[in-house]
Amino acid sequence: VSDAGHTRWSEDLPAYVLGALEPTEAAAFERHLDGCRRCRAEVRWFEPAVATLPESVERREPPRSLRRSLMAEVRADAKGETPPPPARSRWFSRDILLRPAIGLAVLTLTVAAVAGYELGKGGGEGGASTEVMREHGVTVKMVREGNGGTLELANVRRMPPTKVLEAWVRRNGTMEPVPALFVPDRAGRASTMIADMAGVDAVMVTQEPQGGSEEPTSVPIVTMSIPR
Amino acid sequence: MAVRREKAERLADEELMPLVSDRDPEAFEVLYDRHGGVAYSLAYRIVGDRAAAEEVTQEAFISVWRSGARFDATRGSVRSWLLSVVRNRAIDFLRSKAGRAPKLVFDDDSALEQRPAAERTEEEALRRETAGEVRGALGALPREQSQVIELAYFGGFSHSEIAEILGLPMGTVKGRMRLGLEKIRAELAEGLA
Repeated sequence: VSDAGHTRWSEDLPAYVLGALEPTEAAAFERHLDGCRRCRAEVRWFEPAVATLPESVERREPPRSLRRSLMAEVRADAKGETPPPPARSRWFSRDILLRPAIGLAVLTLTVAAVAGYELGKGGGEGGASTEVMREHGVTVKMVREGNGGTLELANVRRMPPTKVLEAWVRRNGTMEPVPALFVPDRAGRASTMIADMAGVDAVMVTQEPQGGSEEPTSVPIVTMSIPR
Repeated sequence: MAVRREKAERLADEELMPLVSDRDPEAFEVLYDRHGGVAYSLAYRIVGDRAAAEEVTQEAFISVWRSGARFDATRGSVRSWLLSVVRNRAIDFLRSKAGRAPKLVFDDDSALEQRPAAERTEEEALRRETAGEVRGALGALPREQSQVIELAYFGGFSHSEIAEILGLPMGTVKGRMRLGLEKIRAELAEGLA
């Protein structure tokens, strides 16, 4: 990387270590980081400063009820007393609910998904069909054409800079990731292509770390049943 | 197999993590007792509400219980990792509250000066000494530098949002972030020398 090129990236470096880059900026920065030893060294140098920021907060004694309820849940879980996930799908398993990547924003939207309602569906020319759902202000539109389809989301809330959206399809009871990762634009719109919809009976979207995941690590933002 | 509480207490955080991964409640309890206070304090600092801080902290620790295997010792301490989990959850919580502004405290000198409760171990004492240096370093920063760092780290705002909020050019925000972090880093390096 030239000095001029390095300077450009170096300007963004403090925002990166503070988690203050937009998702697309953070992704681009990480691509640069892979090939820039100077920036990697500078990130490592700054990390201790960022890591000690939480130590600067005013100390508050956590309520005893927090420890009690936390340990009760942990001990029950260790004994296998935690209720099994609902039979309808392992997509909604408690384990997924509690993984680190989960955001409460996602949780809120997922709860909303249960209360979501189908706005409409319709046929189209050439065998195209569209299903639309709305969940707490988030609009989900699935446009199917031929063997494939386009999943469109609107009014998606802002995401942490280190996260992307990943779509999943359920086929014959098995969950499969959709290869194309995506992020919402400033207007909250996001879309991805699903090349093969054959046999798919549900589609969902989760927030995942940059680069995506092999299996969902967060509660779905949206879940849509696909009529056969 | 679960280790006894007394044995777990003698283990370093990094030694506890494999036990947590093996679903040992005693090891997890020790981890919570060591870091639950600062985790809750951080959550409270970000979400600004007792009940929400409690919820965020519990969710964060449960996620650690469920995913302890994801801790990577080569990338930092258990405490830093755990606090990053708490911070991410708290920021997610803020963002999930439409229209709710993060709790931001720029001039809370009493907060910066307040010392934590009794020190339990030498390690904790050293950590708190370091924390005191950070508080000092943050407090010693020019307000315009501590402000952008707090907006980013505790508020969860991006640098472009901060530029908009403060009515500043993006380059100015970036420059202040760098100057502020460099001073904190220098303060830490000096403390270790």
